[in-house]
Amino acid sequence: MSHSPATADHGDEENKFQIYIKIAMLLAVITGIEIVFIFLPFPIWLIVTVLVVLSTVKFMYVIFYFMHLRWDKPFCTILFFIGLVIAGGTTWALLLLFGAKDSMPLTAISSLANYFVG
Amino acid sequence: MSSHAGPIDHHHDHTTSTGIPNKKLVMWAFLASDCMFFGCLIATHMIYRLYPPPGAPDPMDIYSIELTSFSTFILLMSSLMMALAVNAIQKNNLKSMRLSLLTTVFFGAIFLGCQVYEFQHFVHEKHLTLTNSLFGSTFYTLTGTHGTHVAIGVFWLILMYVRSFQPAAGIKDRGWFWRGLLHIASVIGVVMFSMFAVIGLTHTLQAGEGFGAFLSHDFGLLIGLAVTTALSFYLARPRGPVAFGEANAIDVESMGLYWHFVDIVWIVIFTAVYLLEYL
Repeated sequence: MSHSPATADHGDEENKFQIYIKIAMLLAVITGIEIVFIFLPFPIWLIVTVLVVLSTVKFMYVIFYFMHLRWDKPFCTILFFIGLVIAGGTTWALLLLFGAKDSMPLTAISSLANYFVG
Repeated sequence: MSSHAGPIDHHHDHTTSTGIPNKKLVMWAFLASDCMFFGCLIATHMIYRLYPPPGAPDPMDIYSIELTSFSTFILLMSSLMMALAVNAIQKNNLKSMRLSLLTTVFFGAIFLGCQVYEFQHFVHEKHLTLTNSLFGSTFYTLTGTHGTHVAIGVFWLILMYVRSFQPAAGIKDRGWFWRGLLHIASVIGVVMFSMFAVIGLTHTLQAGEGFGAFLSHDFGLLIGLAVTTALSFYLARPRGPVAFGEANAIDVESMGLYWHFVDIVWIVIFTAVYLLEYL
């Protein structure tokens, strides 16, 4: 017996409850892993990478499942990602600009000099 | 939304040129702009954390990872309840939607309570204020803006809950709105009386006194708890047909989008502002 799209959609709606519960548990576990991971003796670059990846996974699960982007028209995803990419790009650019050596404030330079001399 | 004879398609609206319900579209446009707003606030905080000025407070001495982790968990659970509320109203299950909305309000209020406690602790115990350091300025601006978003979300949730009791057209019941607000107030009363009763019982037991001493000290709290609980159940009972139904799912979903956005912003803040400081 073949299933019509309407029947499949109905089954999808029925399963949402279980999907939401599973995702919420997964998000809670990921949060727990993040908290434990910052206290583990790994290199900082590795911890930062893992934290960024785990946060991104949480972020994506919430927007695609809890916020229904997975089931909505792609235009909603495009619209939101326009804002997200601009926000992320601005943050990234500002951090690169102000993190550059030439942007270092004089107070920070003197603090570092004192640190190395001392 | 237009009137429908058959089942409602909650993800598409064929009456609009985009095929997307207008309320949902405008909410996504707003959230995209809010991304940029929070992106700038987070960037500002992180930039000033790159090279802290001499004498700047050390966040490691100020933060409480336990409290922040608890807040994060609470907000995640509130997101789950919001998703379940949307799912319930899309199936025209009004009772389940009301319960899920109330639980979301409950979790949202706990998150706000934790943030108030955190701010109060930082200001009075750690002497970190909005103006006495660059770190304080950017931290309070960022987390305070997020907290304001949560407060607006809780207010919106409460209004939606009250609205779900609006009587159907043709039924004269002028008191439904105030009864709804009283219902919310009684639910908040249950939460407050419960919290104070637990705190009172803990203090009594820590002081080495028995349950009798707790009853003699805090009997009023138990009376208040009983009265607000009874009032909550009384006001929650159905009073006839209501105007709110599956056709209003788009309203709940738009509100849910806003609430989930508040959650994802906190996911970023939790990592960028709190966890990274522990490295």
